[in-house]
Amino acid sequence: MENLLIEKGKSSPYIFFDATSGVLTFQGESFPENAAAFYDPVIKWVNEYFASCGETGTTFEFEIIYFNSSTSKIFMSLFSLLDAHSGTGKKIRVNWKATGENETAIECGEEFKEDLENLEFNILVI
Amino acid sequence: MKAFDLYSFYKEIQSDKILFCYSGPISHSTIEGIGHTLRLDLELGEVDFSTSQSVFSTFIEQMQNILNYSADIITKDSEIEKELRSGVLVIGHENDGFFVYCGNKMLNKDVGKLQAKIDSLTGLDKDQLKALYKEKRKQSPDEGSKGAGLGLIEMARKSGKPLEYVFTAIDGDFTFFSIRVVIEGKK
Repeated sequence: MENLLIEKGKSSPYIFFDATSGVLTFQGESFPENAAAFYDPVIKWVNEYFASCGETGTTFEFEIIYFNSSTSKIFMSLFSLLDAHSGTGKKIRVNWKATGENETAIECGEEFKEDLENLEFNILVI
Repeated sequence: MKAFDLYSFYKEIQSDKILFCYSGPISHSTIEGIGHTLRLDLELGEVDFSTSQSVFSTFIEQMQNILNYSADIITKDSEIEKELRSGVLVIGHENDGFFVYCGNKMLNKDVGKLQAKIDSLTGLDKDQLKALYKEKRKQSPDEGSKGAGLGLIEMARKSGKPLEYVFTAIDGDFTFFSIRVVIEGKK
C-alpha cells in the first residue's frame, strides 16, 4: 500500500502515513476552509489501511498545536473508528503530544480520551 | 471621512485599546493572513499561551462561521453573496483580557434560528457546555452545511461568559449581526 503524504499548509497540518512501519503522523495546525473535504482522503486512506494492513500494530502520532471545531469533529470520528478497531483486537495506539504551555491542547486530548473505551490514548507532554 | 484625516480614527482606536480591526471581504486566505498577524501580535504582547489560544480560536470560529454561513446560502445573486461574505472584526484589550468582536450581514429569515442557538447556551455552566460540545461533536453534520455546528459552543467555552450579541435590522432582506466574546486573561 502506498504511503500518504500531505505537505503542511497555512491552515492545514503536515500528514505522513507510513503503511510499512504503521506510523501515522499529524503535525501542525488545522483550520482548513472545509475540514470534511480536506480530511476525506485521509479517512479513506485509514480505512483502506485497516482493510489490508495494520495487523502488526499502528501508532498515530498527533502533534497538533491548534485545531478548529470542524477539525475536532473529524478527529473525534477518526478516534471512534480506531476505538472500534481496537475493540476487535487490533493493536492501535494514539500518542497525543503537546508542549507543557499548551494547556488547551492537553485538555483537548483529555476530552477525546474520555469518550473512548478501548483505544490506547496517551497524552504526552513534550 | 475627510481626506487625510485618519489620525483621529487612529487615535480613537488607540484609546479604545483596539489591537486589531478589519472591515471588508472575508475569504479563507483573509482568515489565514489575519490569523498569522494576530498570532504575532499576541506573541509580541507577551500574552500567555492559553489566553492567546483562546483569542485565536474565537477569531477563527467567528470568521469561519461567516464564511460557512455565506457558503450555505444558495443564491444565484452574486451581489447577495458578496454582501454575506463581508464582515467587521475588532479585537482589543478589556481589563486583563481581550474581546473579539465580529459583525456581518445575514438574511432576515435566519435570525430566529441563530438567536435561539445563542440563547440556548446562556446560563449553561462549564460542565454543561462541555457535555453539549461532546454530544454535538458526535452527531453527523447538518445536511448541506460546511461547518460542524460547534463554533458558538466553542466560543462560549473559551469565554466562560455569556456571548453578547445584537441584531440590527437593515432592510427587508438583511439584518446585521454583531457578536462579542470576552476572553479573560490569566493573572
